[in-house]
Amino acid sequence: MAGPSALWEALQALLPHTKEELKLELGEKVEGSVVMLLQEAAELFHGGQRRECLQTCEVLLDYSWEKLNTGPWQHVDKDWRRVYAFGCLLKAVCLCEPPGDAASVAAALKACDMGLLMGAAILGDILLKVAAVLQKHLLSGKRPAPSPSQELPSIKKARDDHVPIPDVTTERTVPRLHCPSLQYFKKHFLVPGRPVILEGVANHWPCMKKWSLEYIQEVAGCRTVPVEVGSRYTDEEWSQTLMTVSEFINKYVRNEPKDVGYLAQHQLFDQIPELKQDISIPDYCCLGDGEEEEITINAWFGPQGTVSPLHQDPQQNFLVQVMGRKYIRLYSPQKSEALYPHDTHLLHNTSQVDVENPDLEKFPRFAEAPFQSCVLSPGEVLFIPVKHWHYVRALDLSFSVSFWWS
Amino acid sequence: MDEEHRGTWFGFGFCGFGQALGSGLGRQVHSPEPLRTPGGNLDVCRVSASWSYTAFVTRGGRVQLSGAAGGAASGCTDAWASEELLVLLRAGPGAGAELQAWAPSSALRGEPLWSQAVQEAEGGPSCDETQVGPLPLLPCARAYVSPRPPFYRPLAPTLRARRLELGAEHALLLDAAGQVFSWGAGRHGQLGHGTLEAEPEPRLLEALQGLPMAEVAAGGWHSVCLSETGDIYIWGWNESGQLALPTKSLAEDGKTTAGGEASGLDEDGSEGKRVFTGEDGAPAPFIAVQPFPALLDLSPGSEAVKVSCGSRHTAVLTRTGELYTWGWGKYGQLGHEDTATLDRPCRVEYFVDKQLQVRTVSCGPWNTYVYAVEKEKS
Repeated sequence: MAGPSALWEALQALLPHTKEELKLELGEKVEGSVVMLLQEAAELFHGGQRRECLQTCEVLLDYSWEKLNTGPWQHVDKDWRRVYAFGCLLKAVCLCEPPGDAASVAAALKACDMGLLMGAAILGDILLKVAAVLQKHLLSGKRPAPSPSQELPSIKKARDDHVPIPDVTTERTVPRLHCPSLQYFKKHFLVPGRPVILEGVANHWPCMKKWSLEYIQEVAGCRTVPVEVGSRYTDEEWSQTLMTVSEFINKYVRNEPKDVGYLAQHQLFDQIPELKQDISIPDYCCLGDGEEEEITINAWFGPQGTVSPLHQDPQQNFLVQVMGRKYIRLYSPQKSEALYPHDTHLLHNTSQVDVENPDLEKFPRFAEAPFQSCVLSPGEVLFIPVKHWHYVRALDLSFSVSFWWS
Repeated sequence: MDEEHRGTWFGFGFCGFGQALGSGLGRQVHSPEPLRTPGGNLDVCRVSASWSYTAFVTRGGRVQLSGAAGGAASGCTDAWASEELLVLLRAGPGAGAELQAWAPSSALRGEPLWSQAVQEAEGGPSCDETQVGPLPLLPCARAYVSPRPPFYRPLAPTLRARRLELGAEHALLLDAAGQVFSWGAGRHGQLGHGTLEAEPEPRLLEALQGLPMAEVAAGGWHSVCLSETGDIYIWGWNESGQLALPTKSLAEDGKTTAGGEASGLDEDGSEGKRVFTGEDGAPAPFIAVQPFPALLDLSPGSEAVKVSCGSRHTAVLTRTGELYTWGWGKYGQLGHEDTATLDRPCRVEYFVDKQLQVRTVSCGPWNTYVYAVEKEKS
């Protein structure tokens, strides 16, 4: 591993040089007592008082964390997220003060990732830059990734298991088109709200050739991400937790996992810009009203068997399949009543029905609800119109990328 | 409460802004220390602690601030400290009392942000908690104060409020008949109605009907109440073990209490002792959120008489003067001489060792204040 002082210098180069510049512009919501602490943290940092700075950062992180957990996430004032990010930044850098060991650097990267996950951008996206430096430093000491011949037998075995692959020929299939023109897509699918699979649109993206379990582990292994544990988010035992991508792969992808874990609905490409180079934005998104920066790109990475219960989203969606296959069912929003949405505010966009094992005594009308289905394979893009109900089950180890646009 | 023997106030937990908490040295106090309040030997009868400062009210009617906010004032019967506002109840000129809201940074100089006359409770101003509980409930019990606008919030006249407590995003009310009401956000189960839905208006906790309650307390995202017979009912978020139920975060550190047992009230109000077990009969995994009240046993035969909650910790007093704390302990707010977070109740041994009986407990978000007297020699 390159020396700890080389890392320290690389980090110092990213930070503002004066302590006056190491500050945030904050509104009224952030109380004077917190502003005092932010100043104190910056002063301690510049004074080289690493231990005291870390203590102050902990207080800032604990207090802003409480604010982040008060009220709905959408209503959390962005300033609290900035305070949180600031605490993560100074914590991360302090942890790397020489003599640092690999464990400290990993902890520093975790602090960065917490700031990226829960904080908001500060000081010109400094957390991204710091994370990149830390990741590079950690990787330079790692063993090279295992060669393909060491591909783990447990994955292969899972593929040969009796996976219930639905016979889509008996169900109405989603139509497929090869590279339709923008106008054709708009007229026949976007405007009327009809699903379609687009072929030849994403199949040449670099991710299609590059991405594998080994590659993902190499590029993202040490990064902390949110993971959903449990068969379905409607289950009582479902929970969310944080772990590194390596830990996720070891616990929920390899080694015959006991529980279902899913790296779902996570903006991984904001966190790890290097991965963003491997994907593009489908051209058809320009047919929307929004700006390109407003498009939400989510990663969906998990073992065979992950299930997203039948639900609807408030935006148009292009679901790009990169690794593995997914079985997807689509129901029109005009038939929402036959889908028995939950009556709680939290789950009103989710159906109560288990699509592949429906309780028809409890939900009789579901049997007559018409649907389309498909098996989405690598290289293919599924257009899910806004508010269109969809159910997804992974037939293999799978990686999908979704684009939510308006 | 009157004491023949004047006792002492103690404090422990977070004091990173220099708020009086025992010696006040360093940022945290991990074991109870006698309070040295600014201004010398004051006869403190009430303590209201916010995150960055604490307000002390004396029997003589003086309020003293300590920490990020300073200053003092006289003619006060009650104080309620929050980061946004310091609320004072002052004996007004003439017969009436006045409610004042101050910016904490004002050091109680100049004018309050706003003030208004309030109706007195019968019996006149006093430091004793006779009929209607302290702020944020107003003496007339017709309204309460909120740190966020609207600051003055009326309560429906049918609610005969005895005590009101505010959490980070919910409110708890105890009425004259011992019924508990809750309202506000419910995403962490803190309302106790069995769902994660919000309630815009006070809603009766049906699970507790038929069990008259004597005390309520609200933490950041959890709720506690004590029955007249000394039982503890607790619900809400358990992310730091503040409900004394097994929590995942501690298990991952290998520190949880495996073998968690809790009783829950079924929807029809009947009590059933449910031992949580997993499929193999082993103690069940963890409770992140408890949306219904759960009965908590401190120790056999103990009667809980007072309760107070911080953001993520809980403190309960028994009739025999013992103090139990549990939940988030990172800043020493549990008083067990360390910073361990606990998901089971633990007695604070300091008071037992010193032969002190604890009579009052009042938690700030990250610290705990306790009033104790010497044990009567029988």
